[in-house]
Order: sequence, then C-alpha cells, then structure tokens
Amino acid sequence: MKVLAAGVVPLLLVLHWKHGAGSPLPITPVNATCATRHPCHSNLMNQIKNQLTQLNSSAKALFILYYTAQGEPFPNNLDKLCSPNVTDFPPFHANGTERARLVELYRIIAYLGASLGNITRDQKVLNPSAHSLHSKLNATADVMRGLLSNVLCRLCSKYHVAHVDVAYGPDTSGKDVFQKKKLGCQLLGKYKQVIAVVAQAF
Amino acid sequence: MRSMVDDARIPKPGFWSNWSSWEEADAQNSLGHDPLLVFPKDKLVEEGSNVTICYVSRIHRDNISCYLEGVQIYGEQLDRSVSAFELKNVSFIRKRGTNVFCKVDQGGALGGIVLFVSKVLEEPKDFSCETQDLKTLTCTWDPGSDTGLSKQPSQSYTLFESFSGKKTLCKHRNWCNWQVAQDSQETYNFTLVAENYLRKRSVSILFNLTQRVHPMTPYNLFPKNVGATNATMTWKVHSIGNNSTLLCQLELLAEGKVIQQHNVSIKVNGEYLLSELEPDTEYVARVRCAYTNHFWKWSELISQKFNTAEAAPSEAPDVWRNMKMVSGHPTVSLFWKPLSKVHANGKILFYNVIVENLDKPSRLEVLSIPAPTRSTELTLDQCSYQIHVTAHNSVGPSPASVIVISGDPGNEEVESGRVNGTEDGFSVSWKPQSGDATGYVVEWCDGPQDLPCALQWKNLGPNTTSTVISSGAFRPGVRYNFRIYEISAKRMAHLLEKKAGYLEELAPSDNPQVVMSNLTSHSFTLSWKDYSTESQPGFIQGYHVYLKPKAGEQCPPAFEKTVLPEDSLCCKHTIDNPEQKTFVVENLQPESVYEFFVTAYTSVGEGPLDAFTKITTLDEYSHILIRIILPMIFCVLIVMIICYLKHQWLKEKCYPDIPDPYKSSVLSLIKSKENPHLTIMNINDCVPDAIEVINKPEGSKIQFLGTRKSLTETEFTKPAYIYLLPTEKNYSGPGPCICFENFTYNQAASDFASCGHFPVTPQAPPHQLGPLTSPENLLKALEQNYMNSLGEIPAGEANLNYVSQLASSTSGDKDSLPTNPPEPALCSEYKMQMVIPLGLASAPPSENSSLSSTTLLGQGEHYR
Repeated sequence: MKVLAAGVVPLLLVLHWKHGAGSPLPITPVNATCATRHPCHSNLMNQIKNQLTQLNSSAKALFILYYTAQGEPFPNNLDKLCSPNVTDFPPFHANGTERARLVELYRIIAYLGASLGNITRDQKVLNPSAHSLHSKLNATADVMRGLLSNVLCRLCSKYHVAHVDVAYGPDTSGKDVFQKKKLGCQLLGKYKQVIAVVAQAF
Repeated sequence: MRSMVDDARIPKPGFWSNWSSWEEADAQNSLGHDPLLVFPKDKLVEEGSNVTICYVSRIHRDNISCYLEGVQIYGEQLDRSVSAFELKNVSFIRKRGTNVFCKVDQGGALGGIVLFVSKVLEEPKDFSCETQDLKTLTCTWDPGSDTGLSKQPSQSYTLFESFSGKKTLCKHRNWCNWQVAQDSQETYNFTLVAENYLRKRSVSILFNLTQRVHPMTPYNLFPKNVGATNATMTWKVHSIGNNSTLLCQLELLAEGKVIQQHNVSIKVNGEYLLSELEPDTEYVARVRCAYTNHFWKWSELISQKFNTAEAAPSEAPDVWRNMKMVSGHPTVSLFWKPLSKVHANGKILFYNVIVENLDKPSRLEVLSIPAPTRSTELTLDQCSYQIHVTAHNSVGPSPASVIVISGDPGNEEVESGRVNGTEDGFSVSWKPQSGDATGYVVEWCDGPQDLPCALQWKNLGPNTTSTVISSGAFRPGVRYNFRIYEISAKRMAHLLEKKAGYLEELAPSDNPQVVMSNLTSHSFTLSWKDYSTESQPGFIQGYHVYLKPKAGEQCPPAFEKTVLPEDSLCCKHTIDNPEQKTFVVENLQPESVYEFFVTAYTSVGEGPLDAFTKITTLDEYSHILIRIILPMIFCVLIVMIICYLKHQWLKEKCYPDIPDPYKSSVLSLIKSKENPHLTIMNINDCVPDAIEVINKPEGSKIQFLGTRKSLTETEFTKPAYIYLLPTEKNYSGPGPCICFENFTYNQAASDFASCGHFPVTPQAPPHQLGPLTSPENLLKALEQNYMNSLGEIPAGEANLNYVSQLASSTSGDKDSLPTNPPEPALCSEYKMQMVIPLGLASAPPSENSSLSSTTLLGQGEHYR
C-alpha cells in the first residue's frame, strides 16, 4: 500500500487525470476501443522520438548530479554503489516490431516514472538544499509523463492496445537512508544506460 | 533494555523500570544477501554522544576499512567477521547526516549507513507571558538552536497550563497565544515543553494576569493651542477592561534630548499643557502608558513633532564698526552678528539702523537692511553720531544695540606688539588705560592679509584684561593682526593696542628677489628691497647670505664656513636685522667666479634652498682699459662723421668718376717699370683696320619718337652696331667683339671713336634706364648729341669725351641688348680709357688714323 500511496499512484493520477504538458494535441477522432482522453497527434512518432532524445541527452547530467549530492563514498565508488544491475527492470528488444517496442517502452517508462517519483520524494527529505537536483528530477519526470501518454496514444490508435501490464521497482520508503541513496543511484545509472538504447531504437 | 514514563503531567523525576534479560543474536544471520553489513542504520544521536558502529562481513577477511567523512576510522575486531568502531563525542556536521561506510579493499563489497548528529535541544529562554487587553495572553521565548535534521523534524513547543489542565501545541518557534478563560482566572501556571526525538526540555512560570498587562501603544497624539512658550498635547489609549486606569508618561524633546517629563493618569483620553517652551522651536512630544494597578511594562512610544510660535528677539545684536576716510569723508562700516536661535525667537526679517547726530539736532536717519545682510556702510561728516541697531522678526524688534562714532577718526597711533599663538588660539592681553571703560573689543581679520578682511570681533567685560581668541579659520603660517579697543562710558571706542601673531610660525616659503649691483673687482652689492617681511609665514628675524667662493679660496671676512644640506661647503653671513635689505660682499678676488644666494629666516628656520646666482668679479685693469678705449671710439666716430659730411670733396680728390690720365699714378708706374717711352695715347695714333656697319637705318630712331613707346617695350629694331674687324690673324674668336652705343656719352665722339655704342655702365640694371628709355629723354639725348656735334658742348665737356671700355662677347643677340645689359664676360676686353679731343671726334674716321683696339691690346694685357 505504501508503494501505491507514495510513488505509483501520484504518477498514474497525473497520467490519467491531469491536463498538462506532454499531452498530445486533440486532432484525430477517438477510437472507440481505446479510452484515451484526447485524440492522438498525427505526428506522434516524431514526438516520441524527440522526447526520447531529450531524455537521453539529460540522463548523464542527472546521474552525475545525483551521485555528487549523496556525498562520499558515492562519487568515487560508482561501480559498487551505482552499477546498473537492477534485476527487475523491464526488458527492451531493439529489433522487435514497432508495436512490441512501443509496449516495452511503455513498461520501461512506467517503471522509471515510478522510481523517479520515489527518488524525488526521498531526495527532498535527504538533501533538502539540493535544489538543482530536485529541479532536474522534476523535469525528467515531466518529460516521462508526456512520453508515456504519447506511447499509450500510439498503441491505442494504431495497434488498438488499450492496456499494458506494467511492473514497478521496489519501494524505498522503508529502506534506510544509505540504501535509499544507493538504490536511487543504481536506478539512475540503469536509466542512463537504457534510455540510450531505447532512443537509438526509435 | 529498560523504560521510564515521560509525560509533562507526571511530575519529575520519573523512575526507570528493571533491565530486560539478554537476548542472543547471530551476526551472520542478520546479513541477509549482503556480503557486508554496517549497522546501526540511520543512527540519530545528540552532539557530544558516543556512538558505536559495527560491521558484519560474510567472508572472513581482514582487509576491510571503514571511513567517516572520508577519514578512515579504526575500531576493535570482535571476531574475524565482526568489528566495532566507537565514535566518541560526535559533533554536529550537517542536517542531512554523514555517510559512514566500510568497504573491502581492492574492488570488494561496500556497505554503509548514515549517521545523524543532532544539536542538543536547549531549554527555552526568557519565557514570559503578558496581555494587552486581559483577553489574550501572549507567551514568548527564545528557542535557541534548531535541532531539525533530515531524520528529525525541528523541535516542537507545547504550552501547558496546570490550573486549567489545558495545553496547546504552538505553531511558532518563539511565541504562542493563549485565550484567557472567561471564568476570571487570575493566576496562571504555564509550562512550556520543547521536544524532539531525543530530548524534552521544559520551563514554567507562575503569574497573576493583572500583573502582566502590557498596554497597547497610545494613538492620536496631537498638539493643541500652540503658542510661543506653551502648547497642549492630547492623546488616546485603548481601554483595558472596565474602568481601568493607565499611567501615561509625556516627554518633551528638543534637539533629541528630553527636556521635560510629565506623568498623567487617564482612562481613555489624555491631555497635558506644556509650558516654558522656547519660541520658534521644534519640539518632539512622545507618550507611553502603563497599567496603573500593577506596573509591568510601558507600552510602545508614540511621537509627534510641533513648532512653537515666534516672539520678538530677546537680545540686541552684537554690533561693531570699522572707520576709514573715503574721499575726505569719514565712512563707517557697521557689522553685526546674527542673533543666536535662542535670542532671535523667530526668523529675523530685517535690521533697522538709526543714525542720530549728537552735535547738532537733526532728523534721525533710519535704514532698513533686509536679513541676512550683516553689514552696512555709512558716510558721515565730522560730527559725532550715535547709531542704534535693532533686529526685527515677524513679531517685533529686539532691544537696540548702541554705538557712538566720533567725527574725527583720529588715526590713533599705538604701540604694536606680538602675540603668541597656541593650539587653543591667541592669548591676547592688554593694559587698561582709563578707569571708566565699560568694556573692551578685540578685533581681527579671519583671513590672510592679502585676502579681503572678514572682520571679526569679540566683546569683553570692563574687568577683563586678557582673552583667548580662537577661530576655526586660523591657519598656521598666516599673520593675524589684533586691535584692542576700549569702550568708554559714552560708548565710544578708542584703540588701545595692536598685536600681531602667528598661530604657528613657519619658515619662509619664498626667498628675496636679489638685485646685484656695483660690481667691482673686489666687491658687489646685493639688495632685496622689495621683500615684504609682513607677508611671510613667520616673523622675519634676519637674512642669511650664502656665498660659494672658487675652489680652495677662503671665505671673505664677515662670512663663516657652513655646510649646505647637499653637503657642499659654503660661506654664510647672517644679517640679524630684518629691515636691512642690502649687503655689500667685499674682499673678493678679481676676475673670479662667485655664487651667492640670500634667504630670510624666522624662528622656525630659513627659506627654501634655491639655486645660487653666479657672478664674476671684474679684473683689476678693466677700468683702465675703459678709460682708453672709450676716447678712441669717440675719435673714430668723429672722423667717420667728418668723412661722411665731406665725402663729395673726398671723392673728387681721391677717386673721381672720370680719372685724369695725366694725374694717374699708373702711368708713372708703367713708365718707370716697363716702357719709359709710353705716353698717353693720341687719337691720331688710333687707326682702325676696318669698320663694318651693319644695317643701321635712320628710321629706328624715328620709330621711337613716333610710337612713343618706351625703349624696353619697343622692339629695338636693327640698331646700329659697329664691328671692329680684327686684322690680326691670331684672333680666333667667334666674331668681333661688340661695342654698344652709349647714349650717355657724346654721340658724336662715340660715333667717330671707332668704338661701339654702349648704353650704360655694365652694372646698371635695366630698370635704371628710365631717363633714357622714354622717348623724350631719348630725344633730348639725341638733340644734345646733335648740339654737341655742332660744337655747343659746355666748356667742361668740350674737350673730353669718354668712351666705354667694355665690349660684349655675345654678338648674336643684339636685339636683347637694351634689356640685358652686358656684363663683364669672357669675351670682354679691357680697353684703356682715352681722352679724345672733340675736334677729332667730329672728324670722319679714316682708315689710316684708325687704331684697332685689338692691336692696342696686343701690346698690353687681355682680360678675360
């Protein structure tokens, strides 16, 4: 329940109930089989590509900003504390069909969005004065929300996929502070690695 | 483990429970999947505590090291896989905690924790409660340090009242409101509890509500009925309960200082009459109030400015005068000082000057001078006058200041003295002259002498014989002159003494401009009469005359050797009379170079070391030479003047224009040295070989007359030229030499002289041909030639004709001859001057009697 309350629920609320940045423009008529709130943009794939490029270009800076803010031993022990060995991270196959790639992308972004929400929440408590890190985390989460919406729109409008099963990462709220820092660092390291592959695939 | 009840409602001290029994745990089991476990996790401790940190390693290795803030820490190894580190007296580092981590060396596992060190929670200080209206209590305190961390929120504050048993959680760190109960509870016992995760601190106060009344700030403070010396102040206060009385304090401030303080008891409206105020003065009134039943605190102050009204000036202006004669009339300059604010009682608008003649009854003269003018000038006659000066503001005049002016300025001569300046000013003293003096006045100018005088004066009482004159305008090195006047019973001023002085004497800033005179071989005189001793930055005590003699020479008598600042030796003579401004330097060596320099000195020192002036003494015989040379020059001048006046006579005698061959010494010289038989050439001996006349038409002369053009303008067409053809074979020139027609000579003679015409002397430039170039002159010349040819030549000219002896070598440019007079050229030949009898000149030339000039010159010399 804590997972839902702290990380995932806010994300889903934002995705499905909030008007805001990242939502596709209402141009095409609503497909009856898919329950999207707005018609999808005709140039949706370009938007998805641009958003992936944007995330890829900022991922490294976010990673550096994060581990620097955690203090020693993080900056000098990246291999031990920030290695991207996240076991339950959703897979991605770059050589799959567009539909399969979009479905995998949806799962990845959903996973990342929830984890990013946890990291943002934790860092506001653990590093209340790291304003630039907070700002970067929020900006990344914003783009991810837009991307998730676009991917869902694309899946719905073109492939009539109205529902994708997603998995989320472990909730960090019960972890100790050092573990929170470490999990966040590992997640951002994984994100930096995966987003490069995904952006290349599209 | 043990426990204790911790509640504010339970009185301290509490009691601990018994310890629980020991439990055994397996360290390896707590590892889980981690290869290295560091614990305790997220440890929160207070500053100054001791903390023990342990690690459990899955593998039994010794190469595990632990760090705190990047610094390795060393602990106790409990067994091969468990170690403990005790951190003693930990200090606060940061709010977000400190990473403590252990890692296996060379790329092994890494585990860590975050240690949070909190500041110690302090007991709230200055805890107090008060009320402004007996309805709400406001409790305040100093919270001390914030103990908030990432792991721990800031401490909270709870207010607990023990009599009512109520408590409230305070929303602010340093104050809290408490609503007073309606049941007229008078006594309150408050406990303030500060709390964080680690500690609780509390502080209590017990008080009676009516003893903690802090009234609100009064309002509506205004002056009412403001006069010149009094004003009524009114204000209001917020009521406290029913029929409560407040004690209010009214303060009056002038220029920031409290000058009056009054206490007034009021309920709601306050009023007080302020008196003994100064007219036209700005005041500040302020009021604060306190609860009368029990004084706890004054309220905040409320202030209000106001100005009192004006009143007539209370004191006569301080007047002084300066008398001088302008165009034979006594002129009085009256000066007065502006009244001080205390005495002006308002803005002074103008001054009235009333002049009353004391010697003869006349109408009073009244002058009104607008402020802020502080002086006026009166032209009077020889009578005595009494002058009244009053200052006026909008209310009325001041008392009059009276001064009496005598008609006779009387330029009193009094002795002058000196006065010494100190840091405090000039200490001036004087001797009273008469016993009926009503006062004394010391007068001076604030500025230097060369600036316009800003007259200053100081009035002193009749029993005063000294005073200290001080002024911010006094400067070191400036001469100040003081005059002391005695004021008689008739209010007339008499000059008593004069004094001059310097606040601080300085060395002279410039040196005298020295003039050197009376230079002889043994002495010279120096003078600096223009040097003013009065305008120097100190009393001039004398002068130093420096003299640099030539190397090795001793100082003249009256000089002594001294060393200049630049370490050069010099002779010095001291003149200790400042009025002696000349000095004769004597006993010098003739024809020697000396350098001198004169400087003045004061009690502080001498003037700046300027450049020396060089001088060379005369030699001993120069005056004798002057006695000889001057008469000689005079004689030569006389001779020159005589020569100039008689130069015509001298010319005739010594170097006539036409020399007489018979008188020529050349002839005798030639005769004696070369050819004793040589005589003056006779015209009969001069037989030319041939004469060729080239195109000499008669019309050329006619053309000149007809066209009336000048000779230089008219084309000189085909003039007559006579070529003397050479007979000698050795003559190899380009052609015969040319003889030019010379109109200045006898035409007939030149025509028959077998020698060419030559217009003028070779040196004459063309523009000097004026008299001949005009047709009239030419005609006259022709007529004269004609007349001469008829034998009408004057007696002096009848016997001799002069023929030019120069011939040009340029035969091809005949036409340009008039404008280009021939000059002695390579081809010119010198011909002996001859005297030709007129009879021969008029006779036609014959071949037999002609003599070639070439032939003649062949016996003599050729000049080329």
